[in-house]
Amino acid sequence: MARQNLSRRQFLTRTGLAVGGVAIAPSLLAACGGGGSDANKNAVSISNWPGYMGKTDIAAFKKATGIGVTYTEDINDNNEYFAKIQPNLQKGKSIGRDGFVLTDWMANRIINEVKWAQPLVAAKLPNKVNLRPALASPAFDPKRKFSLPWTSGMTGIAYNIALTGKEIKTIDDFIAVSGPTSVLSEMRDTVGLFMLADGKDLTKPTYENAGTAFNRLEKAISDGAITSFNGNDYVADLGTGNLAAAFAWSGDVAQITRDNPDVRFVIPESGGTLWSDNFMIPISSEKPDLASEWINFFYDPVNAAVLTSFIQYISPVEGVAEELIKLGGDAAKLADDPLVNPTEAVLATLSIFGPLNEAEEIRFDNRFAEIQGAG
Amino acid sequence: MSAKIERDAQGRKQARYTPWLLLVPGLLWLIWFFYLPLYSLFRMSLSTKPSRFAVPEFGWAWSNYSQAFSQYGAQFQRSFTYALAATIAALLIAYPIAYVIAFRGGRYRNVLLGLVVVPFFTNFLIRTLAWKTILGNQGPLINLLHTIGVLGPNETLLRTPIAVIGGLTYNFLPFMVLPIYVSLEKIDPRLLDAARDLYSHTWRGFRKIIIPLSLPGVFAGSLLVFIPAAGDFVNSYYLGNAKTTMIGSVVQDQFLVQNNYPIAAALSFVFIAIVMVVVAIYSRLLGTEEIA
Repeated sequence: MARQNLSRRQFLTRTGLAVGGVAIAPSLLAACGGGGSDANKNAVSISNWPGYMGKTDIAAFKKATGIGVTYTEDINDNNEYFAKIQPNLQKGKSIGRDGFVLTDWMANRIINEVKWAQPLVAAKLPNKVNLRPALASPAFDPKRKFSLPWTSGMTGIAYNIALTGKEIKTIDDFIAVSGPTSVLSEMRDTVGLFMLADGKDLTKPTYENAGTAFNRLEKAISDGAITSFNGNDYVADLGTGNLAAAFAWSGDVAQITRDNPDVRFVIPESGGTLWSDNFMIPISSEKPDLASEWINFFYDPVNAAVLTSFIQYISPVEGVAEELIKLGGDAAKLADDPLVNPTEAVLATLSIFGPLNEAEEIRFDNRFAEIQGAG
Repeated sequence: MSAKIERDAQGRKQARYTPWLLLVPGLLWLIWFFYLPLYSLFRMSLSTKPSRFAVPEFGWAWSNYSQAFSQYGAQFQRSFTYALAATIAALLIAYPIAYVIAFRGGRYRNVLLGLVVVPFFTNFLIRTLAWKTILGNQGPLINLLHTIGVLGPNETLLRTPIAVIGGLTYNFLPFMVLPIYVSLEKIDPRLLDAARDLYSHTWRGFRKIIIPLSLPGVFAGSLLVFIPAAGDFVNSYYLGNAKTTMIGSVVQDQFLVQNNYPIAAALSFVFIAIVMVVVAIYSRLLGTEEIA
């Protein structure tokens, strides 16, 4: 009996320690990884999305400019990142970053609504002239005073033809797919494609205009025609056949089509959306000069081409296609890839989701949340 | 003589304060990391936000509660249904495991218990994602179920309520096994010998001795599974579909997407209240005063 007792106690202690250890470890790791502030005065700290940086770019930047970089891939979702920086920036405190990269609509919120971006330093940005004219004057920052696109992409439909059995050309085709399908949990991408299918002008969205699109999406969800909402995780599911078709971002698909030729990407006949993720400098940063030099580096077509060869999204920099060809090998093939270097004809079918004021945005978000949790 | 009395008195005095001293670290921890956050969450749940990005202002806004309740009733109901199903499934799976380890484990007992705990060494998220592969259309399970005709040719497992409940059951199973094991292991085997001596057959002995004596473990285990399962959103996100959203996802969405902290806080409090009522009823039904 006594021995049993002991062993039970030992067991409980050990289990407790093990479970406790497992529970505490992630937060400790997070605490260690979170502090990105570089003590060095001649260094910048940048937040970006995963998969947005090549293997050699940071070293090349350091070599070219002598500026150190703390680069953190801690942006997974515009809303989540906003919620993360809000408590500090609202009180005018530092967030330990000299630059972050957020999607158009969130850039609008940062620049125009909460005013947490400071102007880029023009003197440090000679390469700004290489910005593609199509991206030079968005409604949220007409002179690109506060922001420059890091990269751009298209939202369309990706499908696995082995599972759909036929080509997908329209939103109707997509809804009619019998296998599992998903749309994006990013509201503007999903609602945007439905609004375009509805023949609405995406550049001036209103809640009234989006009504039928929302209803159609809601019906497709409650009928089970669309199975789920996904973030980036649709990529793996399309490859493995867990999804037959999905609303998708071009760069993700560019990466999987190489491994799995059955996976295809199409801009629906009614049109797709074009978006950019934009580099900005938070008001709390004391190094706008260095941060501007950082973005300037990637506006040199040679550097932009190297970056594009890694991340395979559409570069906002003019002359990248020529530089990709000069790089040769796989990079040269990207110059002909319609997902990385879309033709003017494709670009003409794309629209940018226009800005929403605060009240309208809340109505859009609420309706979308309602549909996401429907059932 | 008097020195001894004095020492005794001092000793008694010390003995009186010792329990409080021992409680201090725990109490401080609870106050800082539980009661204060809970209080601030409560204030938040009664606050209003004049605009989306404004700092919420406290204002006895009870309407947040009625809104939380009326707007998300379906998700509350779904969360507790799934959690109940997962708890029952976990109990049915865990009880035999705990029984075998406690009574038939012999010298392999620690190894077997180790095996129950091993999945904990893997991150919760990774375990859930692994289930996605197991249940997926190219996984081994779906082929088997199609072959033996349990599922129709077009039916899938992934993104169904079954997958969500399965994931919840799997992820919280050790929390059921361990308390049941501890209560079974405490049972004196001589009680069973006595039952046998009195011509009770095995099943009756199990029913009259083992089950009642293991109820504290069952009680603790069910709560340890039910409560976190009801609040979970990872399983419904990765294994479910748009119609399996649980209340955890709604809270997450209200906090991080809508930036509507007051509603999110009210939802959290409604959730806590429901859990407390459920636990109170459950402990009354099971009559396990000794654990309470």
